[in-house]
Amino acid sequence: MTDQTPQTGGTADQGEPTLRIMLACALGMSTSILVQRMKDAAASQGKHYRIWAADQASIESELGNFDVVLLGPQVRHVLRKVRAVVGDSAPVEVIDARAYGRGDGATVIAQAEALTKGE
Amino acid sequence: MASFSDRFSDGLTVVAEKVDDNKYLNSLKNSFSYFLPFILVGSFASLLRSLVSSQETGLARWLPALANLDGAFTAMNFATMSFMTIPIVILLGWQLAKRNDTPTHATAILCVAAYVTVVPQSVQALLEDGADGGTAAGLGEGALGAQGLFIGIIWTVVITELFRRLSGIEALRIKMPDSVPPAITQSFNSLIPVFLILTFSAVFGVLFRLATGSYLNEWVYAVLQHPLEVIFQSTAGIILMAVFAQLFWFLGIHGGLVISPIRNPLFATAIAANIAAVNAGAEPTQPLTYGFWVTFIVLGGAGGILGLTIVGALMSKQEDLKMISRLGFVPAVCGISEPLVFGVPLVLNPIYAIPFVFNTGISAAIAMVAMNLGFIQANTVDVPFGVPVFINGFIGFGWQGVVVQAIILIATTLMWVPFVAIDDRRATRESQDQGAAAPTDSKEAVSA
Repeated sequence: MTDQTPQTGGTADQGEPTLRIMLACALGMSTSILVQRMKDAAASQGKHYRIWAADQASIESELGNFDVVLLGPQVRHVLRKVRAVVGDSAPVEVIDARAYGRGDGATVIAQAEALTKGE
Repeated sequence: MASFSDRFSDGLTVVAEKVDDNKYLNSLKNSFSYFLPFILVGSFASLLRSLVSSQETGLARWLPALANLDGAFTAMNFATMSFMTIPIVILLGWQLAKRNDTPTHATAILCVAAYVTVVPQSVQALLEDGADGGTAAGLGEGALGAQGLFIGIIWTVVITELFRRLSGIEALRIKMPDSVPPAITQSFNSLIPVFLILTFSAVFGVLFRLATGSYLNEWVYAVLQHPLEVIFQSTAGIILMAVFAQLFWFLGIHGGLVISPIRNPLFATAIAANIAAVNAGAEPTQPLTYGFWVTFIVLGGAGGILGLTIVGALMSKQEDLKMISRLGFVPAVCGISEPLVFGVPLVLNPIYAIPFVFNTGISAAIAMVAMNLGFIQANTVDVPFGVPVFINGFIGFGWQGVVVQAIILIATTLMWVPFVAIDDRRATRESQDQGAAAPTDSKEAVSA
C-alpha cells in the first residue's frame, strides 16, 4: 500500500525515539502486521518513533517502556483491566477497528499522538 | 456503522470481560499459555521418534544405531506430557499467589507439596517375568500426567485460598526482631500457615480414601474429568464449542481467548492421552487437540475467512472488499483473521453473519466425519498457531490432513459466494441511491 522506500528517511536510529507506542493483542500476531504499516507511516512523516507489538499478558512486564498502549479491537474486553495495570503511567485505548482492519498505519499513529497529548 | 464500537455493551461482551476478570479463569489461562511451548515440544518428540528412531517408519530402518535414541525422545515426551500436572500446579499456584499477594515461591511449592499428599505416593512394581513385585515409593502417571490435571487445578485453588486466608491472620505470624532480614522474616511468617495447610491436606487425603475407597485424584478423574472429556470430545461437543467461540468473534472479540480457560486444559489432556496411547501400542482416541483446532476448525482464520479473501478478491465488484481481501490473504493463510473481521467489517455485520458464525462449525463437522471414517487419526504431533495452511495440516495429520483441509477450504469458500453477491448488490444499490442524491462514492458515505 505504501510506495516510499524505508531507506530514504535520514534520521532513523539516531538518538532516543520521541514516542514509544506499544500495541497489544491476544498473541501479538495480528497487531504486528499493523506495526510494520505504522513504522512505514512514521518514517514517511519523518518521525522517529519506536513501535512494537506484544501479547496482552506481557503488558505488565513492559510497564515504563511505553508512552501509550493501543489494544487490538479483538481484546477490547480487557481494556478496563489493562487500564488498571498501567494506571497513570500511560494512556490506554482500543485501536479504531476500521483502521485496524485496513492496516491504516497513519490513522493509528495519529490516534496514538492524540492520546499522548491528552485528547 | 461508525458507532458500532459503542454497541458492545451486549451480553457476550460482558461474559468475555467477566471471564477475563475472574481470578481463577484468568490465572488458569495464563498458566496454560506459559506451558503451551512445552506441550508443543513434547508432541514434537513423538515426531522425532517416528522420523528418526523408529525401526518401522524412521531413519533407523537404514541406520539401526539411531534406534538407541528412542529412549531420549520418550524421555522428552515424559518430561513434558506425562509430567504436566506438576508444572501446571506450580504455574497456577504462582499466578494465584500474585493475585492473592502471598509469597510466590512459597505458594507454588506449597501447592505441589499439598497435591502430592492427596495422590498415591507409591507405585505398583512389576517384576520382569510379570509377577507382582510389591509397591515402591514414587508417583505414578495417574498423578503426574494429564489424568491428574483437574484435581491438580482444583486442589491448587483450594490451597492458595487457604494460604491467602491464613497468611492474613496476625496471630499466626512468628514475631522476629527488626534486625532480621526481610526474606527470613517472610519465610518464618509462612511457617505456621504452611504447617496447618499441609496437615489439613494430608489428613483430608486419608479421610477421603477411608470414606470412598479411592485416592482423591482417581475419584475426581472418574467422576468429573473423564465424563467432561467424553462430552467435549464428542462431535456435537466440538461443533458447539467451535460455534460458541465464533459468536464472540462476531462481536469482534477474540473467541479462542475467551474460551481458553475451559478449552486449553482439555487440549492438553487430549494430546497427552493420544501420545500415551500410541506409546502403549494403541490407537489415539481424543480428536480435539490444539493441533486439530488450528488445523481444521480455524483453518485460514476463524470463520473460514481465507475463503472470503479468495471470493472477495476474485469475485466482488466492490473496490473496498477487493482491497481488503488482498490485504488479508497472507495473514489468513497463517490463520490470522483480524484484517477481515475489522476491515470488511464482519463484526455485527448481518449480511455475513451466517457464513462467519457457522463456517467454523462446518469445518469442525467435516474434520470429525473424516476422523470417524478413519481417514485421519487423532494427532500426536501438535501444531503451533501461525503455521501456514497445508503445512500445519501435514505436520499434524500427514497428507490425509492436507486433503481434509482442502475439502474444508472449498466448502467454506463456497459458503461465502452467495453472501458476497448479496453484499455486492447492496453496495451497487446504495451507490445508485447516492448517485441520484449527490455525487459521492460509497466509501465517503460510510465515513461521513
